[in-house]
Amino acid sequence: MAIATRPARPGERPQALPRHHAWGAIGKFVRTKPLGAAGAAIIVLMALTAVCADLIAPYDVYEINQQLQFTPPSLAHWLGTDEFGRDVLTRIIYGARIALFIGLVSSFLGATGGAVIGVFSAYLGGKTDLWIQRLMDILLAFPLLVLALAIVTVLGRSIPNLIVAIAIPVIPRTARIVRSSALSAKENVYVEAARAVGSSHLRVMWCHIVPNIMAPFLIILTAQLGSAILTEAALSFLGLGTAEPTPSWGLMLSGGAPMYAEKAPWLAIFPGLAISLAVFGFNLFGDSLRDALDPKLRHRT
Amino acid sequence: MWQYIVKRLLLMLPTLIGAALVVFLLMHVVPGDIALLIIGGDQGGDINPQELVKLRAQLGLNQPLYVQFFSWLWGVAHLNFGTSLWTGTSVMNEIMIRLPLSLEVAIAATVVSTLIAIPLGTIAAIRQDTWVDYVVRVVSIGGLAIPSFWAGILIILFLVIYFDWAPPLEFVSLFRHPWENLAQLIWPILSVGYRYAAVTTRMTRSTVLEVMREDYVRTAWAKGLRERAVVVKHALKNAILPVITIIGTEFAFLIGGLVVTETVFTLNGIGRFMVDAIAHRDIPVVQTLVLLIACVFVVVNLMVDLLYAWLDPRISYR
Amino acid sequence: MRGFKKNMWLLAVVMLTGLWAVSPALAEDKPHYGGVLRVALAGDPPSLDMHQEQTFMVTIPMSTVYNTLVMFDPHQYPKIIGDLAQAWTVSEDGMTWTFTLHQGVKFHDGSELTSADVKASWDKIVFPPEGVVSTRKSLYQMVKSIETPERYTVVFRLHYPAASFLSMLAHPANFIYAKKYLDQDINWYKTHTMGTGPFKLQEYVRGATLEFKRNSDYWKKGLPYLDGAKYFIIPDTGARAKSIRAERTDVEFRGFAPVEVESITAQMGDKVMAAHPGQPAHWGIAVNVDKKPFDDVRVRQALSLALDRYEMVKTLGPLTGLDTIAGPMPPGTPWTLSPEELQALPGFGKDHEANLREAKRLLAEAGYPNGFQTVLTNRAVKLPYIDFGVYVVSAWKKIGVEAEHKLEESAAWSKSRLTRDFELLVDPFGFAAEGDPDEVMVKFTSSSPSNWGRFKDPMVDQLFERQKVERDAQKRAQLVHDMQKRVMDKAWEIVGLWWTRVEVRSARIHNYEPLPSHWMNRRLEDVWLSAR
Repeated sequence: MAIATRPARPGERPQALPRHHAWGAIGKFVRTKPLGAAGAAIIVLMALTAVCADLIAPYDVYEINQQLQFTPPSLAHWLGTDEFGRDVLTRIIYGARIALFIGLVSSFLGATGGAVIGVFSAYLGGKTDLWIQRLMDILLAFPLLVLALAIVTVLGRSIPNLIVAIAIPVIPRTARIVRSSALSAKENVYVEAARAVGSSHLRVMWCHIVPNIMAPFLIILTAQLGSAILTEAALSFLGLGTAEPTPSWGLMLSGGAPMYAEKAPWLAIFPGLAISLAVFGFNLFGDSLRDALDPKLRHRT
Repeated sequence: MWQYIVKRLLLMLPTLIGAALVVFLLMHVVPGDIALLIIGGDQGGDINPQELVKLRAQLGLNQPLYVQFFSWLWGVAHLNFGTSLWTGTSVMNEIMIRLPLSLEVAIAATVVSTLIAIPLGTIAAIRQDTWVDYVVRVVSIGGLAIPSFWAGILIILFLVIYFDWAPPLEFVSLFRHPWENLAQLIWPILSVGYRYAAVTTRMTRSTVLEVMREDYVRTAWAKGLRERAVVVKHALKNAILPVITIIGTEFAFLIGGLVVTETVFTLNGIGRFMVDAIAHRDIPVVQTLVLLIACVFVVVNLMVDLLYAWLDPRISYR
Repeated sequence: MRGFKKNMWLLAVVMLTGLWAVSPALAEDKPHYGGVLRVALAGDPPSLDMHQEQTFMVTIPMSTVYNTLVMFDPHQYPKIIGDLAQAWTVSEDGMTWTFTLHQGVKFHDGSELTSADVKASWDKIVFPPEGVVSTRKSLYQMVKSIETPERYTVVFRLHYPAASFLSMLAHPANFIYAKKYLDQDINWYKTHTMGTGPFKLQEYVRGATLEFKRNSDYWKKGLPYLDGAKYFIIPDTGARAKSIRAERTDVEFRGFAPVEVESITAQMGDKVMAAHPGQPAHWGIAVNVDKKPFDDVRVRQALSLALDRYEMVKTLGPLTGLDTIAGPMPPGTPWTLSPEELQALPGFGKDHEANLREAKRLLAEAGYPNGFQTVLTNRAVKLPYIDFGVYVVSAWKKIGVEAEHKLEESAAWSKSRLTRDFELLVDPFGFAAEGDPDEVMVKFTSSSPSNWGRFKDPMVDQLFERQKVERDAQKRAQLVHDMQKRVMDKAWEIVGLWWTRVEVRSARIHNYEPLPSHWMNRRLEDVWLSAR
């Protein structure tokens, strides 16, 4: 990114950035991109919920209470209780932790992995590039289900394994996009110059190529965050994700919810709302971020 | 042109074989096999170890891995996709019973969503930053945020409570009873389609926006052409290309993503078949299905690229 | 005379009118021919050969096509009556059983059934040849040989005077096939049907329906009443329940969860009947006694003491149908432990607080005053596995045992069981016929393949061997009681709860009562439907 500079005039001292500039920037963001700001607000709310879960949750997450089975939403239990008498609001609050954690870590891992592969593939070119491309194609064509099942059944249903299962499909998508940006960055004359001077490959990649792929990288990352949460929900729904009695939103929708939907509709409604709201927030924010970073970027997903 | 197509088709082969191999290895790495399930039965009762060994031999599971894989691959070359370990009937047969339904849902969802999405996205782009635009954006982002199985559950709940609806038991063929068939399938189609529509709307909107900024469009405006002429004749024609890419890619993913919809709506399609086959460790079926999905994926990509070239004369392929 | 004649006419008119008025009521009790029974079925039969399969998805539809040698009387369970066998005798020493077959029984292709067919079918079950699997072979280890001295006589010779032989013989899965086709291809029946039963398979559309139509030449004259039966394959439980509510199907032959039963009966009122025929399955916990600390009987007892089964019934009952407390043998039989016997065993006493204290004391004595961590391996099926596991894990927290609830999908779980890759395992077991101790209790002997925990208790083994050959019913019952008490006292297996099957059927179905096991009474030969 080019920063406009000019030599200092005699006697001039560099000015410190006024403190209210930061708030001003936020205010500007809210005014120009209200949707993005709304998204950011949702994300912040979710993060706070996740972090302060122990403080704000009204009941215990795991305790079974026979007397309270299937109570509808009331003053004592705002969102009702489930088939074991556990408070739904509490489980949704703790579920935010899981969703956020899984979403962030898996999309970050996947996007970073994909970016690294994309940069290497573009830089090294030739046969290596071709083979890596084929490998990415295979990963891309692979149904997520089979992959997730394999990982989960071999390694077990745990959160780290789920993260791996969700991260893997992100890799080829990121690699593709990053690779095309890296390809055009490679044509840049700076790269030739750096190689001529004798910089190592790694240095060239790091100093010249990577900065140019940051924009698409960030875009993919934010785009994948929401989708990672959805994937976790879908996998838990299909019985490949988190295991009972973990309070993950997707799991809450799978077990009792469809079966008890007529008797206790609140079981089916609230976890789904939570998922939708979270993904909605991430998507809104991600969209505006992408607009801000580079509105001219053509995206072939 | 033809050379290019042939080259692409040839390049397809390693991808497909690679995918099949990966699946094969995965299915063997994963614990448990079909013999356990057959002998164990519903509750996994008594498992007689001698019978287990016998059954494994009968199903060919005790042969070395490379033999199993290459004999399957050899069969594939002759269009024989093997026999299901669970039922003993041909895999192709089993798939053909279920494929039409899934295809119908997938294609109908594509058509419906495209018909909605392109006009909607275009209007949102033209009226950028007005309330129309905001509504369309919020609705489409919202659409992306809703998990499809949740939408399915809610739809069913709604139908059951307010309309005393029950899922259909037998699906009539589209060709013999078109209206009845569509009435049965409308809910899964909507369940799958709204998401598809959301993605396409967003893409349409952003590409039309970009194109609108291009010089030739601005020239058209300056010339005093009416809005419709500008949009349809100039902007849309060029904006359509990335949209087509998205429609194509999403379709390929759709086939794999039918799983949840078919589970929720009890459709006897290949998505659910895949889930069952994996649960049963019915290896030939899983391999064939993965091959099928990978094939669809690659072919759709190829078609999209060709369409691209045909629509945009600037692009040519060596 | 004229007055007399007039009175006679009057009497005749009155009588005829009376008969006419009463006859519809009588007609209700008289079987009505016609109608197709529509059944909701949970999945496709993998193959059509019951001998080689172990799932109700085969038994339920295919029972209509075949007969068995003997069967449980569908109207007087658990009495055993002859099906293809007209009569039978047993020798003094209990080791030779001679069956006389009905004559004139025809297969669907017109050929007559003889003892050769019975022998061929039973040889396949008891002595399966190379390339053929017999999933219930171990139930028939007492059979030495099968002979056919005459055209309509079959003789079974046993190794020992097994008390359970007749009961095992009456198991609903023992279809009698035609020797002709078994000789052609021993696996012919996997993909074809040819039986002597009341119905013939007309069409099978995989993933969708199985259609059976009436065998008008059925050897039991006058039967069947139904024109046919149609089985709709509906894998989703909710969708099955809805199909009954929408009156698109008439019955579901396996069982519904309590919440489904509620919604069906609430909506349909007296158009349906919900029956609770019994408890065919039990969920407990197998303990891998080779892993510390489960080799210590005190630890095992503590785990059992921590479960308040009376409370469990209240919580899990309405959710899963796990609502009956009994020992390892099913409730409602002479083998069942009485409530007094039960309450003396660890974990079945009514004072839960005392149980908890005792559990903690035992753990402390065993060297774990603060509990320990472990893993409960479970199958990833919601009802009732997962719910049972969730409850148990939560209950054990109270004595300091932190169990990780490890869910594995069916194939992986099956493998973990077989290879003993578990510490604690949610363990279902049940019966498909009568629940004879030979079928159920064999699991607790040290050499049984389904003794997942692989515990060895010589006393248990001895008791099992003795009851196996004890022909006096009372003495046998006592031995079985002792065996159960021993297993539970030592907590080799942690007994959980029995599952009540609830079968919901349309009120239009007559002459049919569900039996405890969902495998039984599926022939439909004397079931009839009243008009809509």
